[in-house]
Amino acid sequence: MSDDAEPRVVVALVGRPNAGKSSLFNRVTGGGARVGNFPGVTVDVLSARMRHGSREVEVVDLPGLYSLTDGDDDTDEGITRAWLLRLAASGARAVVVQVLDATQVALGLRLTRELAALPLPVALALTQRDAAERAGVRVDVDGLSADLGLPAVSVSARDPAARGAVLDLALAAADLDERARPAPAWDPDAVAAHRASRAKRDGPTLTARLDAVLLHPVLGSVCFVALMAALFAAVFLVADPATSVLDAATRRLGALASRHLASPTARSFVVDGLLGGAGTVLAFLPQIVILTVAMELLDASGYLSRGVFLVDRALRAVGLSGRAFVPLLTAHACAVPAITATRILRDPRERLVALLVLPLTTCSARVPTYGLLIAAFFAGRSAWAKSLVFVGLYAAGVVCSLVAAAVLRRLVVKGKPLPLVIEMPAYRAPRAVDVARVASRAAGRFVKEVGTTIMVVSAVLWALLTVPVPGRVVPADATPSQRIEASVAAGVGRAIEPVTRAAGFDWRINVGLVGSFGAREVMVGTLGVIWGIEGADDDPAPLASRLREARGPDGAPLYGLPTALALMAFFVVACQCMSTVAALRRETRSWRWPVFVVAYTYTLGFGLAVLVYRIARIAVG
Amino acid sequence: MDGPLPSGATTLSAVPVGGRAVVRALHVDEGLVRWLRAVGVFEGQGVTVLRRGAFGGPMHVRVDSGGEFAIDRALAAGLEVSEDEARG
Repeated sequence: MSDDAEPRVVVALVGRPNAGKSSLFNRVTGGGARVGNFPGVTVDVLSARMRHGSREVEVVDLPGLYSLTDGDDDTDEGITRAWLLRLAASGARAVVVQVLDATQVALGLRLTRELAALPLPVALALTQRDAAERAGVRVDVDGLSADLGLPAVSVSARDPAARGAVLDLALAAADLDERARPAPAWDPDAVAAHRASRAKRDGPTLTARLDAVLLHPVLGSVCFVALMAALFAAVFLVADPATSVLDAATRRLGALASRHLASPTARSFVVDGLLGGAGTVLAFLPQIVILTVAMELLDASGYLSRGVFLVDRALRAVGLSGRAFVPLLTAHACAVPAITATRILRDPRERLVALLVLPLTTCSARVPTYGLLIAAFFAGRSAWAKSLVFVGLYAAGVVCSLVAAAVLRRLVVKGKPLPLVIEMPAYRAPRAVDVARVASRAAGRFVKEVGTTIMVVSAVLWALLTVPVPGRVVPADATPSQRIEASVAAGVGRAIEPVTRAAGFDWRINVGLVGSFGAREVMVGTLGVIWGIEGADDDPAPLASRLREARGPDGAPLYGLPTALALMAFFVVACQCMSTVAALRRETRSWRWPVFVVAYTYTLGFGLAVLVYRIARIAVG
Repeated sequence: MDGPLPSGATTLSAVPVGGRAVVRALHVDEGLVRWLRAVGVFEGQGVTVLRRGAFGGPMHVRVDSGGEFAIDRALAAGLEVSEDEARG
């Protein structure tokens, strides 16, 4: 038969979460997958096209699900269900391959029974063969296949032969006529009891022994805190050298552009506007990659559900559940991937609250401003005191997000939270190749998502900080700080100064705040330009001493500790990030909630800044 | 949903750590009943309580079908169980 006569076969991989579906998908596709562009699907559904023998095959990795009958359309269950129904209706040559954990046959077969009721051919790939053998589970695959009337194989994702086995199975099943299949009349528990035998084991399993420590009320909590601390240390210590390399590359590109652009305005636009924005995106990339790798390791090893178990009680007190800890943790690198991570929250109200408070956690874009303020106004203190301020700012972010969650749960998004039910999978050693693929996808996604917004914001800011207020003429030989003084941003900064004075912010700080409205990471660079200090982003020390020694017309210090603390308070709370706003718009499918977030965080941030400024003024005397 | 919890019924939340019981009825919201049945907690299923989270945290249980779950304590108080006769 010629290739034209053989239509492409769509192979949809379906399975319970933790069944080993993604590992098997990576094994079958060899990593050449891309995020499929499927209409109406908001989550990443990976797909890969390949040839197997003479046949053209498209393998699709659908989100894990427990049942086809449960879940709103936004949840993983809903997405997979809708996708399968569309596939069945499309008339395409297709087959559903259920990835079934051999250590949990009875549970997996409940899903099989639902899948077998769909008008699509179904086949079973039993995975976790190694784990099953260790657990003393023996599955009679041929007997199982005969009982169910469905083709089945047993594979291990670690075995290269799994690829051929799964594709052979899928193609054979696709050629069967599913209409000839009787309605599933078998009982999952009876079939499992008949075909999967579990040998009596001596002593507790590895998972049970690990859980005795990792879920211990005291030891487990200590391990959890230590793990999180290690994770943060990795994000900062490991990411820093990588960031420097990327930073140097961007600067070299800037120097190159400067040499080839004659017009000062064009040069400034390319170097400060475009490359500045690109540099910002790249600077955060190592942290995103490290955090994604860490989260994937936690998830694939089975520890993530243990973390959920440990923190559930504490988060319940503020109207969230243990699951919310995943996005809250991610938000400490960047709110944008954290917003995507809220999809693991099944309760739509809990998910909304999490989305609304994520911007309050201390993301890495706040760190340069904190560093500058600490260097400027805590210069005389010990390294310990400085670290304490830094840790305090992180703690303030956590406290603010939790308090905001508790308040929003009572006033804005009312209702009881959905109680926690989460699977605690057996511990497993993650495969490096699977983790690497998740990390590279996260990096690509971050560059695309955050990158686009930051580039636009960066270009707009450049204009605000460059274009003079209408009517003002800037001499051709003006210094950068003279130019910025005449800019639209400075005009706005002066106009709002009477109000911001209450928090100790003068027009120069206001220009920084106008500049950081779209992306808070530009604060330090903008202040640097205002004070005529180049390269403040790379070395904040000269700018820090400049801020400390700045004197007003009366000779008194322009800024003091109260202003610094007020500015910190503002940065803890205010959602100065258009990438976050765009992500919130996408996830909530409305402008209502992103506008609400900007409004409440700016109001709260400024209110807090005023309060802190007043109290600090009294305390300082 | 299986209606309100009969008075005097034993619930999963009362099963001691290490204890084993069989789920008899799910006296919780319909949506939760569907979700519990989907993940693997359903009538007739044998359940072993492995541990309880501190300060009223979730319960960690193993079901006979091979899965382990963390279940909210208040939710477990809506799951009617009977003591397992074939205690193993």
